[in-house]
Amino acid sequence: MAISLRSDSAKGYALSMPAVVYVGFLVAVPLALMVAHSFWTQDYIDINRELTLENYRQAVDDPLIRLLLIRSVVIAGLVTGLTVLLAYPIAYFIAFKTQKKALWLILVTIPFWSSYLLRVFAWKLILGYNGVLNSGLLTVGLIDEPLSFILYNPNAVVLTLAHAWAPFAILPIYVSLQKIDPSLLEAATDLGNTAIERFLRVTLPLSIPGVIAASLIIFIPTVGDYVTPALVGGADGKMIANLIQVQFGAANDWPMGATLSIMAILVVAFVAAVFVISLRSAGRRIR
Amino acid sequence: MESDAPIVVVKDIEKRFGNYVAVSDFNLDLKQREFFSLLGPSGCGKTTALRMIAGFQQPSKGEIFIDGAPMRDVPANLRPTNMVFQSYAIFPHLNVADNVGFGLRKKGLSRQEIDQQVREALEMVELPNLGTRKADELSGGQRQRVALARALVMRPKVLLLDEPLSALDKKLRETMQLELRRLQQSVGITFVMVTHDQYEAMTMSDRIGVMFQGKLAQVDTPKRLYSAPLNREVASFVGSMNFLKTSLRAEAADVLRVEADGVGPMAVKRNPYGIESGHEPLVGIRPEQLEIGTAQPSGYDVAVKGKVTNVAFYGESIHYYVGIDGQDEPCAVAVTNYFHTVDHQVGDDVWIGFQNSSVIDLGKYQETGSPGF
Repeated sequence: MAISLRSDSAKGYALSMPAVVYVGFLVAVPLALMVAHSFWTQDYIDINRELTLENYRQAVDDPLIRLLLIRSVVIAGLVTGLTVLLAYPIAYFIAFKTQKKALWLILVTIPFWSSYLLRVFAWKLILGYNGVLNSGLLTVGLIDEPLSFILYNPNAVVLTLAHAWAPFAILPIYVSLQKIDPSLLEAATDLGNTAIERFLRVTLPLSIPGVIAASLIIFIPTVGDYVTPALVGGADGKMIANLIQVQFGAANDWPMGATLSIMAILVVAFVAAVFVISLRSAGRRIR
Repeated sequence: MESDAPIVVVKDIEKRFGNYVAVSDFNLDLKQREFFSLLGPSGCGKTTALRMIAGFQQPSKGEIFIDGAPMRDVPANLRPTNMVFQSYAIFPHLNVADNVGFGLRKKGLSRQEIDQQVREALEMVELPNLGTRKADELSGGQRQRVALARALVMRPKVLLLDEPLSALDKKLRETMQLELRRLQQSVGITFVMVTHDQYEAMTMSDRIGVMFQGKLAQVDTPKRLYSAPLNREVASFVGSMNFLKTSLRAEAADVLRVEADGVGPMAVKRNPYGIESGHEPLVGIRPEQLEIGTAQPSGYDVAVKGKVTNVAFYGESIHYYVGIDGQDEPCAVAVTNYFHTVDHQVGDDVWIGFQNSSVIDLGKYQETGSPGF
């Protein structure tokens, strides 16, 4: 008995080993290294391994860092809001208004068939000074000279990311809408509700889990995105990740880069928690 | 005489889905305060008919009146009907009290009034003190009671029930049958129930409408439906029935003298619905109307010799299947299981006997178009 038990638990450990190794080396160790770095300091070309809060003090005092953090959260919030707002009607359409669900779901994933970088470049081509949009408007005669406010600013970042993330928002919202039992909607109608009241009192609250999932999937990576702001954001569109990149690269201050990363993680976690809790309680208040 | 006017009038309804005719030639008057069941096999259009009364589906032809008012332009949310759904459709994001109060919130009542009515409704379905329970913490029977309370609290003119008991286990189903009936009588609202279960329909209803292939075949009280079915389809769907193909020997004003192979002459009352029997009338006898014994029974109009081919034991009754020379199908005989009931074994020679008054004329014999017995 004891032997078989031991071999069972040994089997269990053996089976979980690949996952432990994978998660341990690729997630836990790098994260621990980053936390450690954030308490160290850069001493010219060496790293001073004395534990200190100096980096955090500097970062909190620096108005530029504060500005970039706030801007990152605001831009990510706008991207999330816009994406979810645009995705919801599409998910609703696929879930309730069409028989060709498979076809539409495949169409939704089409942007994924090209690389993320290419999609950002495509927006650059569309929004640029001599881009598709400007030359189109010039040809039609709606404008006399190319618009310059559409590229290299935060709007361009929001627009580009809202497009890039669309499938990430559509799919979870679609799943949560799809799960709604149609007889619940009929029951709401039967109990005297118009189509709009039915949506607000039944469909919307029941799809909140999907909205939360979509929002987190978009918000978290957007705060840390640096490709899009670097390519289409211009000077006003730079975000915290661009600064972190500089710290690890040109500035060669890994401890400061790690500190900024940890701060970004904490801010994201805080904002996401507040968002989830308030959305959930809002959903619960609908009766 | 206002209370004698029908509460629901369904007039010449037809419903098509593309080329498929789900319901046709549908005419029905529902009385005030009656418990009406639409009974039929799955796919016969009974649920479609119910959903047209509720307003979830529009008839392709015809008109529905509720309390005298035409319903053609009245959407489902404004109709004086409420529905208990087959799946109960309890809102999973709300607790029991908010589920029951869901429709009341639309009526512009004060919070106190809503709370009061919700409490009364929950007491009526015997679920007091469950108001704060979440929907997913309810058992099947409780969910059904919540669905009932949620619909009844709206005080509809007609309550529609779509297979309300099919999701419950047998024991609970029998309890709920009696309770639904009691509830219906105490609230005095017309109930329309859709079911495929003949026993459910018979135990609960004042009247039953039997549907086949989108058409109402017969509308009658459970007793009359059982004792005087219109034709073979109705007779075999409501209860069980032995069918005999006979030959017409003589006919009087309301009695047919017929003879069946191996059974002999019988006198049958003519089909009360005016269905012509022709030269080969089909007659039926309910299994419990037959006597079975080892000796030739005395005092019966007809006595036939046969051999037991099968025995089915049901507890409260025993069904013997008796093969008769000249008949393809064995004749089913149901005997109440008294403790002194004589057991017959497969292969035993037995006599069966019945009275002419037990024989039902089901119209002309037809080879096809009848559901299996």
